[in-house]
Amino acid sequence: MIVAADRRPNFTGFLTIVKREMVRTFAIINQVIWPPVIQTVLYVFVFGLALGSRIPSVQGVSYSQFLIPGLIMLQVIDQTYGEGSSTVFQGRFQNAIQELLIAPLSAFELVMGYVVAGIARAWFLALLITALGAIFVHTAPVDWGMYALTVTLVGVLFSSLGIICGLFAEKFDHIALLTTFFITPLVFVGGVFTPAAFLPPLVRAISLWNPMFYMINAFRYSYTHTVDVSLALSLGIVGALTAISFAGALWLTSIGFKLRT
Amino acid sequence: MAALEITGLVKRYGDFTAVDGISLSVPEGEFFGLLGPNGAGKTTTINSIVGLSRITAGSIRLFGLDVERDWRPARRTVGLAPQEYNFDRYLNIRDILLYQAGYYGLSGPAIRRRADDLLERFGLTSKAKQVYTRLSGGMKRRLTIARALMHEPKLLILDEPTAGVDVELRLELWAFLREMNRAGTTIILTTHYLEEAEELCARIGIIEAGRLVALETTRKLIGERSLQDVFLELTRR
Repeated sequence: MIVAADRRPNFTGFLTIVKREMVRTFAIINQVIWPPVIQTVLYVFVFGLALGSRIPSVQGVSYSQFLIPGLIMLQVIDQTYGEGSSTVFQGRFQNAIQELLIAPLSAFELVMGYVVAGIARAWFLALLITALGAIFVHTAPVDWGMYALTVTLVGVLFSSLGIICGLFAEKFDHIALLTTFFITPLVFVGGVFTPAAFLPPLVRAISLWNPMFYMINAFRYSYTHTVDVSLALSLGIVGALTAISFAGALWLTSIGFKLRT
Repeated sequence: MAALEITGLVKRYGDFTAVDGISLSVPEGEFFGLLGPNGAGKTTTINSIVGLSRITAGSIRLFGLDVERDWRPARRTVGLAPQEYNFDRYLNIRDILLYQAGYYGLSGPAIRRRADDLLERFGLTSKAKQVYTRLSGGMKRRLTIARALMHEPKLLILDEPTAGVDVELRLELWAFLREMNRAGTTIILTTHYLEEAEELCARIGIIEAGRLVALETTRKLIGERSLQDVFLELTRR
């Protein structure tokens, strides 16, 4: 006999996935939390405080203070992509994902479980680096609404992209491919270290085709209240990419791509 | 009502047909054996039942629920102890059981008690806080069954449950499975140990090259011969 409860969405199942992913994050904290934090401190000391002391002011703040929001985005992008891609890839290759595939969980619940865990990791890391920024270079967000919106959107975008790559990948190397040749270079030239105004006209025009530029631009607004390009345009591009990435992850999961034979 | 009703099941991977029109019914409460040589289509059939494989043609119903249309309630009725270990390496043994229940939408004190009872029943209590990689082969086998039972399925599917375990544990598992079956759980077992099927199963289906070549009560199937003779006769290629 089917009881009504059997057909209802499985909220406990979704929460269990989020909890499991958090357990995983803290089990590998020396790989996914401390390295980005230490890397950020090194960037701030070497680029910000040592070299940056020779740069008078950028967008009305010191160069070290200018760096902080870009560095937060750099790490949030890297680590949320890592969360989605490695958990799905490992689950597939160790078959542990079968536990979820035979359970009464929909594709939406499954993807949301991973994405919400990605957002949680993004927030944890962002707040840690924000605290470091406040301590070492005396800067803090002035617009927490924009801070929250950007971290969450970018968290969803790269967790979803991570899920997609975790599904396509046949070996760990494939996951690293996107990070090495696409994500890291684009983030580095996307305005983490320099405002668009500092760039030669041609490079500036090219950077307008770089999606990371808009993410960093929108997030930096939460710190400096200044932008390189329109905030609405930045949020529109980030929002659209997030929707496309999430829809892609959901579609691949719902057709069981490389999950169900 | 039938616990499992398979009608004209076909599963193809490109040009290769792994399951070729299998139809069978397992009544509620039965202990059923699904036998066949390696690559015959047993695991593909099981994967189709639990949702790990997509059905090419035909249908599967669990307790009257279509596994594709009514997938959510259908999946709650079945527990799978797979052949390959697929435990979560980030969780300890007790958490493997608790998280498994969570994926089925179950949590709370009663579930924690059930996990502790199953750990006790399978002799895993002293290992509760360890990760599965530190368990012996026999303990891992016990853990696959304990995990499959966490959401109290009405149908338990065991894919080679005693592969690689010693005689003592095999006899222990047999006793446990008989007890489960007497208590009302329908059991489907695949095994390469023919004496195991002979000992436990009331009815046996034999698959060869994706087709069901025998479906009979164990007694009738064997007759005056041994199950090994019957099996070899039916599956010799």
